[in-house]
Amino acid sequence: MLTPLLLIPLIGAIALSCWPGLSASQARSGALIASSAALLWTIALFTQFDLAFSGFQFHEFLPWLPALGLNYELSLDGLSLLMVALNSLITWIAIWSSDPEIERPRLFYSLLLVVSAGVAGAFVAQNLMLFFLLYEMELVPLYLLIAIWGGEKKAYAATKFLLYTALSGALMLAGFLGTVWLSGAEDFTYHAVMGQDLPMVWQGILLGLLLVAFGIKIPLVPFHTWLPDTYVAASTPVAMMLGGVLAKLGTYGLLRFGLGMFPDAWAQFSPYLAGWAAVSVLYGAVTAIAQKDIKRMVAYSSIGHMGYVLLGAAAMTDLSLTGAVSQMVSHGLILTILFHLVGVIETKVGTRKLDVLNGLMNPVRGLPMVSALLVLGGMASAGIPGLVGFVTEFLVFQGSYAVYPVQTLLGVIGTGLTTVYFVILLNRTCFGRLDNATAYFPKVTFSEKLPAYILAGLILFLGIQPNWLVQWGASTASAMVAAIPIVAIEVAADEAIQGITDDVQLNDAIAFPIATLPTLP
Amino acid sequence: MTPILAQTSWLIPLYPLLGALLTIPWSPAFVTRTGPRPAGYINIVMTTLALLHSLLAFLAFWGKSSPQFFFAPWLNVAGLDLTIPLEASAITLGACVLITTLNLLAQVYAVGYLEMDWGWGRFFAMMALFEAGLCALVLCNSLLFSYMLLEILTLGTYLLVGFWYNQSLVVTGARDAFLTKRVGDLVLLMAVLAIYPLTHTWDFRELAAWAQTANVEPGLMTLIGIGLVAGPMSKCAQFPLHLWLDEAMEGPLPSTILRNAVVVTTGVWILVKLEPVIALSSTASAFAIAVGTVTSIGATLIAAAQIDIKRVLSYLSSAYMGLMFIAVGAHQPGTALLLALVYALGMATLVMGAGSVIINVTTQDLTQMGGLGSRRPITATAIMAGAAGLVALPPLGGFWAMLSLVSGLWEAQRGLLVAIVLLVNWLVAFTLARMVGLIFAGQTQQMTTRSPEPIWLMVLPMAIAAGFTLHLPLVMAQLNLLPAWAEVSQDMALLLTWSSILGAAVGTLLYVNRMVENPAGLIKKPLQNLLAYDFYTPKLYRNTFVLGVDVLSRMTDWLDRYVVDGLVNAVGLASLFSGETLKYGNTGQLQFYVLTIALGIAGLGVLMNWSALTALF
Repeated sequence: MLTPLLLIPLIGAIALSCWPGLSASQARSGALIASSAALLWTIALFTQFDLAFSGFQFHEFLPWLPALGLNYELSLDGLSLLMVALNSLITWIAIWSSDPEIERPRLFYSLLLVVSAGVAGAFVAQNLMLFFLLYEMELVPLYLLIAIWGGEKKAYAATKFLLYTALSGALMLAGFLGTVWLSGAEDFTYHAVMGQDLPMVWQGILLGLLLVAFGIKIPLVPFHTWLPDTYVAASTPVAMMLGGVLAKLGTYGLLRFGLGMFPDAWAQFSPYLAGWAAVSVLYGAVTAIAQKDIKRMVAYSSIGHMGYVLLGAAAMTDLSLTGAVSQMVSHGLILTILFHLVGVIETKVGTRKLDVLNGLMNPVRGLPMVSALLVLGGMASAGIPGLVGFVTEFLVFQGSYAVYPVQTLLGVIGTGLTTVYFVILLNRTCFGRLDNATAYFPKVTFSEKLPAYILAGLILFLGIQPNWLVQWGASTASAMVAAIPIVAIEVAADEAIQGITDDVQLNDAIAFPIATLPTLP
Repeated sequence: MTPILAQTSWLIPLYPLLGALLTIPWSPAFVTRTGPRPAGYINIVMTTLALLHSLLAFLAFWGKSSPQFFFAPWLNVAGLDLTIPLEASAITLGACVLITTLNLLAQVYAVGYLEMDWGWGRFFAMMALFEAGLCALVLCNSLLFSYMLLEILTLGTYLLVGFWYNQSLVVTGARDAFLTKRVGDLVLLMAVLAIYPLTHTWDFRELAAWAQTANVEPGLMTLIGIGLVAGPMSKCAQFPLHLWLDEAMEGPLPSTILRNAVVVTTGVWILVKLEPVIALSSTASAFAIAVGTVTSIGATLIAAAQIDIKRVLSYLSSAYMGLMFIAVGAHQPGTALLLALVYALGMATLVMGAGSVIINVTTQDLTQMGGLGSRRPITATAIMAGAAGLVALPPLGGFWAMLSLVSGLWEAQRGLLVAIVLLVNWLVAFTLARMVGLIFAGQTQQMTTRSPEPIWLMVLPMAIAAGFTLHLPLVMAQLNLLPAWAEVSQDMALLLTWSSILGAAVGTLLYVNRMVENPAGLIKKPLQNLLAYDFYTPKLYRNTFVLGVDVLSRMTDWLDRYVVDGLVNAVGLASLFSGETLKYGNTGQLQFYVLTIALGIAGLGVLMNWSALTALF
């Protein structure tokens, strides 16, 4: 069931790169077909997924280099499933929103598909070494994607990205090797809590290695400086992939390998992790306020929002971990729509500078629909209820408040600061007076807006019916929490509530029907 | 028929929501042939439906004590089961009737006021969104979902105030409204999060039941209580979070009708629901009273010094909200609701009247008006009716609400608060008399010589609202909201009446009969400026919060660019530089390379055999 996730994009990539004389639009259609197939396959996975079972499903095993302990092992749980879905969706959207006239189209699309295949593989890899290989596999294609099709300062940004990520890979490899050798495992197959029997010092060191490795990828302050440069220099589809999907490799790794393999050490570190998360949230939000370039602003907002994932993971309650997993998805959706809209504004208006942009909401000469969607995206990011960003952040807060109240409240302040910079962004770009002398923008076609419509629909729908999002990761999150030895904090139960004698006749209550998720087979 | 309507009263918020969705075809890109007007008409029809439904449901519930509850599943994950609880009772449905009525009037008014505007689709969609949000809020029986609705309304305020987004004042007004309200919302969110571990519920009724027996650490309860009060503070434009309401006046006037009359009272509604919880902490109650006192006195003083007609009304709104805060803090939630009802009708009438004046005078400056009494009989009557309904003037509504407040305070032996309420009432009466005098009395000026009554679409809603204000006591009597005459504290009633009459008399003497040439000259200039410039609050904001966030963000950005990233770049530069330097060490002499390699191997050998070597010696 899982191999096609890697195989379909990979075959697409090979076919595109070997097919001679493809025009740009033909290459785009080809890439779209491949990514649509992968997306359909992902949807099929959802229908087959067993929600009641919290462990790994769809196991696949193929010996590869047994002597090294490296085997082709794939399987998937709720966390992986959500990440795979995000990857398939955003790959499709990134390809759709690529410039149809792009230079060297065959190379571009095949690189994009290779990245997608690598990421999908990493999300379902059940073998540490396989995860490492696939993690590294996306590195070079992304380097090329940034260095060839990027904007200003692309060489600098691409090199910075390469160096940082290579360092992250090296640290991760060290961590994995250490874990396997010290724990005396026979091969690199992933097991939950495999580092538990190690001495605490070793657990701490290994977890520290993984924290830095994935902290670079997420990124967390202070390992984040590659991010603004890279996101800004990358073209829109590549920025979507980077922010929407690639950053999730970091949080996925943190949850799967950090929390999953060293729950003891994680529990020891968690107060500091929560503090680190709060710092990341505030740092990202405060820095974003000072930016003058809307793409850079969105890039910094990404740093802040990834902090919530760490906060949820650090609190280690069912609810906060579910929130963290869902926050990964909602962050992916919201960041992608923001990058998409920023990209549209850049192509149509020709600038990303806050000081120059003005009055795009103008219904005749501006970009009214793009502005409306930008309001939606910004507000989703700022955590306005009714949109998916609120649900996931709220779950994180609600889950972590009982454990780390101060850090959680700092996180709430972070959402306030998020509002500040999005209001600045919206006020400058959408509101204000459009200069009639310069406002001759090309029309935004329906096809250019389609990705934003799809994402906006998802953001709205999942905000109103959050069960459709959160239930997939819930059982996995519970299983992870169950693996943690001590339950963090026992909330004193209140007897007063039980003792209420309600003066209301309960048979008065009427549950009225609202669409709910049908129980899956 | 009626039982069905009562059982489906959860549909009420959905009518306006549907109306808002139906305007989508008229948002710019799609339908252009019809012009934007159908969007408005659709929404008026939907609002009428909502009004009829809530009215019939209200009548079905009236006189029955037991409310009916509805539940809708929302989120169920990891032990957290959130269902949306709705409570249909006489009070909540009565609030729905008030909201839908005022929104219907405001929308009809908007048809006249915004006749030439091109943004109808957006405007009516936002008005409908507000109506839906407000109806959902009053029906909602859960603190969490109330918080969520308040947040959505905050966003709605931003979009509605920013309706004429190409004017710079509008943009800053929208920004400030959004950010100020968001600050309050987030404080409320903190309290919402903090209270759950104690109560394990967000249901208002269960919270009230919990509060009766709760035994919580006082320090924590004080913090939570203050959080719960501070959240609504920004909604209700209380000091020091009041500036947004003034700036929000830049938005279209028909939306101001709804905002000043009912949207600001959402905060009070939440406070009333939470009153049992807030009462747990005497500090929190005292905080509410303090905030209300400062706001009601300060805002009425400021209102008396404004020359902008909309500003006068906006500060009066803050002042009345302050009185409601006092009522909640003094544990009189019922009085707060009564005051909100009276205030909503009176303020709606006043704002409609102000709009009717502004549209044909084409200025908001009170000093440029005068002599309109003969030209605007209907508007003059309506404004005076609204003013009379607002202050404590028997037998109109304001009197009964104020009387209930004052006698409650007196019974609780809070004489100082009684004096404060009397003072505020005096000031309100003076301010309103001043406003009426400046607009309608005296000589006509350039702007007012040709200023007829506006189109009937504006006059009719205004007259209807004035009629409601005047007939409110009859409705209240029907609903048994008036106290029996025997129970009335006659001293208080007399004091209140006298304070209103005195205030109005001073205002009339100064501004209708113009006893003094320049009444403003009676007050010293610095004090005048202090009041006219709103206690310099904008400056205060600029020099504290705004400056703080600005400096902090610049500093962090600088740190990010030059320290964190600088360090990374320095490492990169250092490695490049060392490579570049080292390359000059290459001489090309083979012997040198061999020597280097040999030395290196020797060093490695020593290092690897270190243990053996040390054992040797």
